[in-house]
Amino acid sequence: MSISAENICWRVGKKVIVDDVSLSVAQGQTLGLLGPNGSGKSSLLRVLAGLRRPSAGRVLLDEHDISGMAKKQVARRVAFVEQHGGTDANIRVSDVVKLGRIPHHSPLSSWTPEDERIVNEALERVEMRDRSEQGWLSLSGGERQRVHIARALAQQPTEILLDEPTNHLDIHHQIQLMRLISALPVTSIVALHDLNHAAMFCDALIVMQKGKIVASGTPDAVLTEALLRDVFQVDARIEISPYHGKKHIHFV
Amino acid sequence: MTSPVRNRGGMWQRLALFSAAVVLLLLVIAIGVGSGELAIPLRTIFFAVTNKLGLTAEPLNRIHETVIWDFRLSRALVAACSGAGLAICGAVLQSLLKNALAEPYVLGVSAGASTGAVAVVVLGIGTGAVSLSAGAFTGAFAAFAFVALLTNGARGGNERTILAGVAASQLFNAITAYSISTSASAQQARDVMFWLLGSFSGVRWPEFQLVLVVVMVGLAVCLWYAKALDAFTFGDDAAASLGIPVGYVRLMLFTVTALMTAAIVSMAGSIGFVGLVVPHVMRYFFGPLHRTLLVACAMMGAILMVLADIAARTVIAPQSLPVGVVTALVGVPFFAAILWRARRQL
Amino acid sequence: MVNVKQALWGLGLLSLSGMAGATQYPLTLENCGTKVVFEKSPQRMVALGQNTAEIMLLLGLQDKMVASAFWPTKVLPELASKNEKVPVLTVEIPTLESILARQPDFVAAQLPLLLGPDSKVAKREDFAAVGINSYLSPGVCATKKNTGDIYGSRSQLWDMTLLYKEIEDLATIFDVEDRGAALVNDFRQREKALRTTFGHSKRDLSFVFWFSSASPSSDAYLGGKNSASGFIASVLGGHNAISSDSEWPTVGWESIIATNPDVIVVSSLDRNRWALDSAEEKIKFLKSDPAVSQLDAVKKGHIVVMDGQAMNPTIRTIYGAEQVAAQLEKLGLN
Repeated sequence: MSISAENICWRVGKKVIVDDVSLSVAQGQTLGLLGPNGSGKSSLLRVLAGLRRPSAGRVLLDEHDISGMAKKQVARRVAFVEQHGGTDANIRVSDVVKLGRIPHHSPLSSWTPEDERIVNEALERVEMRDRSEQGWLSLSGGERQRVHIARALAQQPTEILLDEPTNHLDIHHQIQLMRLISALPVTSIVALHDLNHAAMFCDALIVMQKGKIVASGTPDAVLTEALLRDVFQVDARIEISPYHGKKHIHFV
Repeated sequence: MTSPVRNRGGMWQRLALFSAAVVLLLLVIAIGVGSGELAIPLRTIFFAVTNKLGLTAEPLNRIHETVIWDFRLSRALVAACSGAGLAICGAVLQSLLKNALAEPYVLGVSAGASTGAVAVVVLGIGTGAVSLSAGAFTGAFAAFAFVALLTNGARGGNERTILAGVAASQLFNAITAYSISTSASAQQARDVMFWLLGSFSGVRWPEFQLVLVVVMVGLAVCLWYAKALDAFTFGDDAAASLGIPVGYVRLMLFTVTALMTAAIVSMAGSIGFVGLVVPHVMRYFFGPLHRTLLVACAMMGAILMVLADIAARTVIAPQSLPVGVVTALVGVPFFAAILWRARRQL
Repeated sequence: MVNVKQALWGLGLLSLSGMAGATQYPLTLENCGTKVVFEKSPQRMVALGQNTAEIMLLLGLQDKMVASAFWPTKVLPELASKNEKVPVLTVEIPTLESILARQPDFVAAQLPLLLGPDSKVAKREDFAAVGINSYLSPGVCATKKNTGDIYGSRSQLWDMTLLYKEIEDLATIFDVEDRGAALVNDFRQREKALRTTFGHSKRDLSFVFWFSSASPSSDAYLGGKNSASGFIASVLGGHNAISSDSEWPTVGWESIIATNPDVIVVSSLDRNRWALDSAEEKIKFLKSDPAVSQLDAVKKGHIVVMDGQAMNPTIRTIYGAEQVAAQLEKLGLN
């Protein structure tokens, strides 16, 4: 298994945010993380990325416990894309992507042509290569997210964790981004709100509620009208879409 | 295909600019050595320096020689180091705290220095054995330690850290005010306040040796963490996801900047504006990446401070203005111009 | 209580010692922990501080002065013509270069603010490095450990002893020991005269010395119990109504009323920082404020005016005491 978690618990003070969560994701899979607000998705992602230490349980990368690994080592494998990764600095697109090479450098090491190539490839992948000299502050929301993903790709990770990457994006960019993510050869775990996107683009889904996993499996197995009523409190009719062959949810 | 060519061009350009900055700095230091109420002929200035460097042995007016070497030159060099140090601290704090208004005194260092100075002067702590500067330094660092304690080593998140800094400033300022109103003579109060206003008048060669070491070491440490500072551009989690040991790096950098600021405040008092404005200006011209930014800030801070000191002691001679007044008066219009230009860019 | 006979004896002895003879050069003087050596009497002296300058003028040494600086108030009227001969660098804090530009051979300072390890103007080593002797007023040496703070006189009542030492030191340095002795003697006599006059009646008047306030409603800056104001009160046979040890306590009017002083001394200041700096404004406030005007002292008109500089521990203190004494006599409070 590429990345897996065993009995993760995470709490803030007395409040339990992530309650005994176990999961595993196969290499190259795209796992969607669903659940209403406050279900613990963001926190789980952060624990998986090694940004928070769980109060119980452990996270494994190819059977190695990440708590025993150096942070830099983890960063060479796992990339994390935040929901609101913003800054006031007018940093250039290329410089943002270059940040992704930091886990592969020491404080004194210099920039190599290999680094250059990797950065350019990442920019190509997100179709931002021609804007590499543009300043951050002049980018739109969608462009910024793409740059963040390029930066994540520059880390040459085997796992990418994304926290609601399509929030604040217009529909065109939402679709574009999800296509990009699902097409990536790396293992991805994406926290999402849009259930139809989850159905279209994810290989597997996990649904969380109040910190626990209440359903996991393929989108076909997980997305049922009962679940939607229970967890998301919406009435819906689900059918297989004639257009892309995956489940499609009609909200009524 | 992008250009290794463009990158190299960038590097040469930066090197050229750096050399120009060094030349400019030497020039303003020379102007500083040549300016003052004592009218000293150029020939004397030149030989005073070469005499002390052991290159010549011209007989010169003793007062002139001493003024040039022991007073004006040491003062200009201390001003340069202090300006560099404050600008570096400002840049680092703005990046770590992700706050455009952050500056070297945001963690209570200046308020702590005033309390330390008052403790020595007014309360007589360490009677005679402890100098005002030593007291100020201790107070400054005590304030920082207080903030570090409150925020668990500055791990508490940026808002909490800034609030803790505000609390520390308020607390130490209150202690200062209390001590002065209950224990001080009017003269003592005036002494302390004057001392705190910011001036390089009291510095000599020992101060230069100290501040040079402090700023050089500080700059070296900050440059070592330049990539880590870049990683903080998008916040702590982004930096952590890039493999930076966030808690450790924050504590290290906060401590180093606090030490630099404490050393500078303890010898020259509170000089504002340089630490706030210079990083913004340099970011505008050189971008936010720290390997270039920190060096640019150091050079610009040094040049600005030497010029401000020259103005402070010549504009209303035979009195001298507090340096902070000059830095603000000069800095504000410059800063306003930058803001104006930046507006039109977006 | 000093009687006339003793005073005459003292006078006799003092005048004898005053004819002690000229200063022997080279003169080595111990000043604030530093040894200072004078090869000969200085010719170009710079006085940093009003008190130092006024002592020099009282010693008739204006021709030996090439500059002075730091004058919080105007010079004593009787010294004004002598003072005109001495250029003033600035009434505020001067720069080191402006002092050196006068080519001095001796610099004497009144405060650590003006000369000392923490001074922004100069350190003693700075002058030593160019062969200029320096002198710091004994009243502010950092060597006093018994009185609790480096400015002295916080836990003990201030007196003129260290001022006398300063006068004697300066007189010796300039080879005018007889003038120095005469000046000290004169001050001693004036102090004794006041104590005698006011020591007879066992009134023990309580005084409040009001320096100034930022506004009528804010707390007043008063002279503290052991400060120069306290000294004036004691010389006039009374005591400072304020019991706090602090040298410049800020006290609210309610607390001042509670002390119910016998005499209120309002200071007149030359500076114009606040409206209440002037004595007239202070008196106006005392008489018009609904609560304060009910004080016995105000109703009876026991308000006297004194030069504000006398509240600083300087030679002006005795002048201030005399100023107050004259008014007290008019009021029949002696």
